[in-house]
Amino acid sequence: MPRLNGYRELEHLRAQLLKDREATKTTVMVCGGTGCQASQSPAVIDAMNRELSRQAPGPSVRLCVTGCHGFCEQGPVMIIEPGNIFYCRVSPEDAFEIVSQTVMKGKIVERLLYLDPISGRRARTESEIPFYRAQDRRVLSQNRMVDPCSIEDYIATGGYSALVKAIRSIKPKDVAKEITASGLRGRGGGGFPTGRKWSECREAPGDEKYVICNADEGDPGAYMDRCVLEGNPHLVLEGMMIGAWGVGANKGHIYVRNEYPLAVKHSRIAVEQARSFGLLGNNILGSSFSFDVNIARGGGAFVCGESTALMASLEGKVGEPRPKDVHAVVDGLYHKPTVLNNVETWANVPAIINQGSAWFASKGTPGSKGTKILALTGRIRNTGLVEVPMGTSIRTVVFDIGGGPVNGNGVKAVQIGGPSGGCLPATKFDLPLDYDVLSEAGSMIGSGGMVVMDEESCMVDVARYFLAFLQDESCGKCVPCRIGVDRMLEIVTDITAGRGKPEHIDLLEDLADTVAQTSLCGLGKTAPNPVLTTLRYFRPEYEAHIHDKKCRAGVCKALITYSIDANKCTGCGVCLEGCVYGAVTGKKKQPHVIDPRLCQKCGICRSECKFGAVQVN
Amino acid sequence: MLQHVNVSIDGAIIRAVRGASVLDTAIEYGICIPHLCHVPNLSDIGACRLCIVERVVNGRSKITASCTLTVEEGMVVLTSTDKVRRLRHNVAELLVTQAPNSRAIQDIAVRCGVTKVRYAFRNDNCVLCGRCVRVCTEVWRARAIGFVGRGKERHVDYPFGVRPPSCKMCDNCVQICPMTITPCDGPMKTGEERLCGNCESQLMIAEHTPSACTWCRLGEGFSCGRYAGKRAS
Repeated sequence: MPRLNGYRELEHLRAQLLKDREATKTTVMVCGGTGCQASQSPAVIDAMNRELSRQAPGPSVRLCVTGCHGFCEQGPVMIIEPGNIFYCRVSPEDAFEIVSQTVMKGKIVERLLYLDPISGRRARTESEIPFYRAQDRRVLSQNRMVDPCSIEDYIATGGYSALVKAIRSIKPKDVAKEITASGLRGRGGGGFPTGRKWSECREAPGDEKYVICNADEGDPGAYMDRCVLEGNPHLVLEGMMIGAWGVGANKGHIYVRNEYPLAVKHSRIAVEQARSFGLLGNNILGSSFSFDVNIARGGGAFVCGESTALMASLEGKVGEPRPKDVHAVVDGLYHKPTVLNNVETWANVPAIINQGSAWFASKGTPGSKGTKILALTGRIRNTGLVEVPMGTSIRTVVFDIGGGPVNGNGVKAVQIGGPSGGCLPATKFDLPLDYDVLSEAGSMIGSGGMVVMDEESCMVDVARYFLAFLQDESCGKCVPCRIGVDRMLEIVTDITAGRGKPEHIDLLEDLADTVAQTSLCGLGKTAPNPVLTTLRYFRPEYEAHIHDKKCRAGVCKALITYSIDANKCTGCGVCLEGCVYGAVTGKKKQPHVIDPRLCQKCGICRSECKFGAVQVN
Repeated sequence: MLQHVNVSIDGAIIRAVRGASVLDTAIEYGICIPHLCHVPNLSDIGACRLCIVERVVNGRSKITASCTLTVEEGMVVLTSTDKVRRLRHNVAELLVTQAPNSRAIQDIAVRCGVTKVRYAFRNDNCVLCGRCVRVCTEVWRARAIGFVGRGKERHVDYPFGVRPPSCKMCDNCVQICPMTITPCDGPMKTGEERLCGNCESQLMIAEHTPSACTWCRLGEGFSCGRYAGKRAS
């Protein structure tokens, strides 16, 4: 592909691409995101390719492997245009029917449509599905129709027009003003106003400046950045280019985890393509602006998601944070002014430039504007990637979009913001998604991971899990984080193991406060949040563990006993068969008994029992 | 460019050398801030977090380590508020329970007000203050030892566990280590660790370089043993 040397050439190419595509009557979009790949979408894609070339060869039908559509629970998902027909849980065997019926004749294959468990009706299109109805997809909107490996797809849907607009008609110093006016705040966790960061970096002395895209997302249960970078890498690139134009940087880095192979691959392809089109490199589109992007792979350390540790890692040093008394916008990568933003933040930029800050600010709360992508996981019906306007209540996300809890249990808490965030109880579900409101409640939006927990989750055990994660991921440089978190883990483990003492709660609070205030970097400063929020909202659970030695959720093994309800037990013997420790005894058709001395509390008997006779106390 | 800036530390307006750290400035002026990983003429990494101070910006205070905080014109720093003392006490408690066998650490802990501890003693031999690593790297340029591993596995070691030729066995790493000072009655036995509280700081370098540590008589900021004794009488 020849280099594009001017704005007109890009517009011409766009017109050409759209004209070429007029021949395409039907487009089949199959999700090739990581979630759907796990539910065999590559096999579906192969089967579709085979069937299409057999039954409908030629340019009239196009198969497009896209990024994540969001509804990972129902994967692999497929959308067929025209008609916007939404198929879910597609298997390779369905390919023949899809091509022969839907593609060739326009008929709908009823059994592949989404079945709404509440109304019992089949939904034809995305907009009829409750999961999508309450969402407002701005950043993710292109994910469903763009092939991430094709720059032509991105250009055809209006890509790089924001870059053209920025370079042609917005002065660099006004870019930051526009972003400030939009009210965009960092989507990676801290929620720092992006526009302010840019203008501070712009004003910082020095000719050499950097922009960095932080794609080192490591929170358990979160995959927003992954899906944006996998599904639409050019959007992120365009955002970075606009940012670089605004702050006066000529070099950018995308720091992406090596555990995200697809994100690495797609961003590499995107950078290569942008280079060959002349959208990266010297004199972009014939202007005086030069910018190039390098892809760096992270080695899997959670702490490298912290900005200074990430920069150290980029410099080739050990990924350890350094004190942040001087901000990175002045003293960042290679001690040069640096703007570091999260993937989602960059992905928001092109739309702000294209449609204006007022459009962006029209959604959201006074303090938090725009939309936020959340990764909805846990004990919930519809897990997946969700984009909602800021200010949406947690209840809407959990119940309307998420479809409520599985197995009819009550929802007990939501863990927002990953290990740095906190657990909010069901009584706080009317809180809006807003940076300031949530941090007041002790949690934070963070990067947007949202883990829903039901009554079978023990909050002390949840705190222990996150502490174990953080203790494992702490870099070990400073004392409060290395020893403090370890001590907290020790105490909480003691509590879950039935060795808790009454004074432990006060000690935990004191220690949590110390770690939060004295740690070197953001990881340590937010590490006590899971403990602090569970102590704040679920203190009775801690007290029950310590005083009564009881775990009401039935999770902490040292505090529970398994027994069989003689009234419910039919003596079928399934539990006896299932128990690997030989702890269950009993004769056929007579109530069985669990020997507490042999029982290892693995829970197999309980999950095997069809009559609910196995009880946990 | 101005060579000096005016900072306020504990209410005292101090004319500080531009580019100096708050810790150095305070010590030079005679305000003692306890510290462990800071050694004069070595770079500061802010690892031990004992030298934390409260920095007041626009009426809001923030806890930060003073060794890595560079003085700025008009900066307001408080070194011994109740909050700082409490946090410092907790950090010292974490340190001393981790490595009760060090007389230097015991001493610092006692001076930070730790008289009894709330955790089980752990008898580690290293608190990863990084003094040895930095003296080897920065003074002798040998780079013979460094930090290896992450988190709980982090430890000081030779590259790949083999002593490199660049190590000249100068022993500086041993000299500067806060763990190498023998406790009063020999090493404590496992299970018998205690805080005697009678030691004076014996950090070797301290006697020769007055800005290094806790010998000064101005240690009111962290209830220095000597000072507290005088005040009580």
